[in-house]
Amino acid sequence: MAYDDLRSFLATLEKEGQLLRITEEVLPEPDLAAAANATGRIGENAPALYFDNVTGFTDARIAMNVHGSWANHALALGLPKNTPVKEQVETFAARWDAFPVAPERREDAPWRENTQEGPDVDLFSMLPLFRLNDGDGGFYLDKAAVVSRDPEDPDDFGKQNVGTYRIQVIGADRLAFQPVPMHDIAQHLRKAEEKGEDLPIAITLGNDPVITVVAGMPMAYDQSEYEMAGALRGAPAPIATAPLTGFDVPWGSEVVIEGVIESRTRQIEGPFGEFTGHYSGGRRMPVIRVDRVSYRTDPVFESLYLGMPWTEVDYLVGPNTCVPLLKQLRAEFPEVQAVNAMYTHGLMVIISTAKRYGGFAKAVGMRAMTTPHGLGYVAQVILVDEDVDPFNLPQVLWSMSAKVNPKDDVVIIPNLSVLELAPAAQPAGITSKMIIDATTPVSPDVRGNFSTPAKDLPETKEWAAKLQKLIASRG
Amino acid sequence: MNSPVICPRCAFETVDKLATSPVPGVWDVLQCGQCLYTWRTIEPARRTQRDAYPEQFRMTLADIENAIEVPAVPPLRTTG
Repeated sequence: MAYDDLRSFLATLEKEGQLLRITEEVLPEPDLAAAANATGRIGENAPALYFDNVTGFTDARIAMNVHGSWANHALALGLPKNTPVKEQVETFAARWDAFPVAPERREDAPWRENTQEGPDVDLFSMLPLFRLNDGDGGFYLDKAAVVSRDPEDPDDFGKQNVGTYRIQVIGADRLAFQPVPMHDIAQHLRKAEEKGEDLPIAITLGNDPVITVVAGMPMAYDQSEYEMAGALRGAPAPIATAPLTGFDVPWGSEVVIEGVIESRTRQIEGPFGEFTGHYSGGRRMPVIRVDRVSYRTDPVFESLYLGMPWTEVDYLVGPNTCVPLLKQLRAEFPEVQAVNAMYTHGLMVIISTAKRYGGFAKAVGMRAMTTPHGLGYVAQVILVDEDVDPFNLPQVLWSMSAKVNPKDDVVIIPNLSVLELAPAAQPAGITSKMIIDATTPVSPDVRGNFSTPAKDLPETKEWAAKLQKLIASRG
Repeated sequence: MNSPVICPRCAFETVDKLATSPVPGVWDVLQCGQCLYTWRTIEPARRTQRDAYPEQFRMTLADIENAIEVPAVPPLRTTG
């Protein structure tokens, strides 16, 4: 089941009991953020939230926590809502193999219904903007798919980037935003600023659920997010041409904001409570001038609460971070069984792998740190055996408790790269990195006493599937 | 409101109105002219009143002027 827009997905969430309409009047602050914050504290199958009765607004429509549970993540991929996490990641990885799937261009985008242009642009009149965390510098667009092109190769569809970045509303037609240097849009901006040129940009809000997944996914610079969305949806991604920039934007967006990042300009932005569970900023960040806004009649404003994990962002970028690392590791090391990179966008990663020979697992750990995503994130790697499920944390901790000899199995490498937002980095952007090898040593690495492990009974897998089916059919 | 409005975060005295509530008279959205801090007038005191604004989130002019650029503006590349 492929969803072409946010509204059709919200309808499915409601049908599946995964959308909660809050009908009582709520305050824009702190209620909206506090309610979404609470979804991360009431269990891992929390619903999406929908608000339409917000103090002072006449027609606010706000969706939050749309991806914020394993059930919702499964439904976004068109899977049954009770699909186990490991299976969601495996399905994601299997669908990846269909990449690239060409998108389908459509001309009748619903966001063409309404327009604000030039001096008439007023984001506050169109969107029910609000604050998330106490220390945030202002109101944020934090769940957009932001489209930009490589200024030196604007016709290359693959180099056109679709990404998610934090964006502060600093005026009726002005935004400040944060391009982390490791991310593709920072490369686009650097090329434009080296020439003293503005960088055109399209910011799309309220997108279909898979566009949001790929926009937050660490893909290669020249890989198209739209072609990946097609692979993950199992159907071409519908796109349309944005009227001002001519960029390719999702057909089903609620709002399309177009303008430019003003060249060589920086202005104070933030702080903002980030996915790291810490505030970052204020820093002097690039500034966007909004020249045109296109929007559906009665647009739904989708936002995302993030703060101390777990929050929606952890469900959103968990599986989509696991899969690129899994694919890149398996390309050279087919022994790799599964990768859990769901903690703080992969700052910590757990990998299960078979061993080719003694010392092999540590090599897999080092490779994880040198993948494109690993360069900016992977600071700790835990290696576990091939029969350990890296998503099953009790099994992971069992491996660490039973198999790690700290002197030989913990490796620390100093002064490696990490994104500047990593709270433990010192200085910002530099950190030591650690490998914990919690696998069973194999020859010629002969250490410990691991000769008689207890294994699951041969029939256990079959029974696990049977029990899951019985539980699901119980409703 | 008896006292003049100042920025809760940096105490700057120039504050602009960015927006007003669609339902008249319920709230305004204000913005500091110096640190760009933006708040809605009906938010809790810890976000709107200088006295109650948390120390760890306060900002000075020096903080703003000395804030690092992310990303840094690259050197202009001359053609040829």
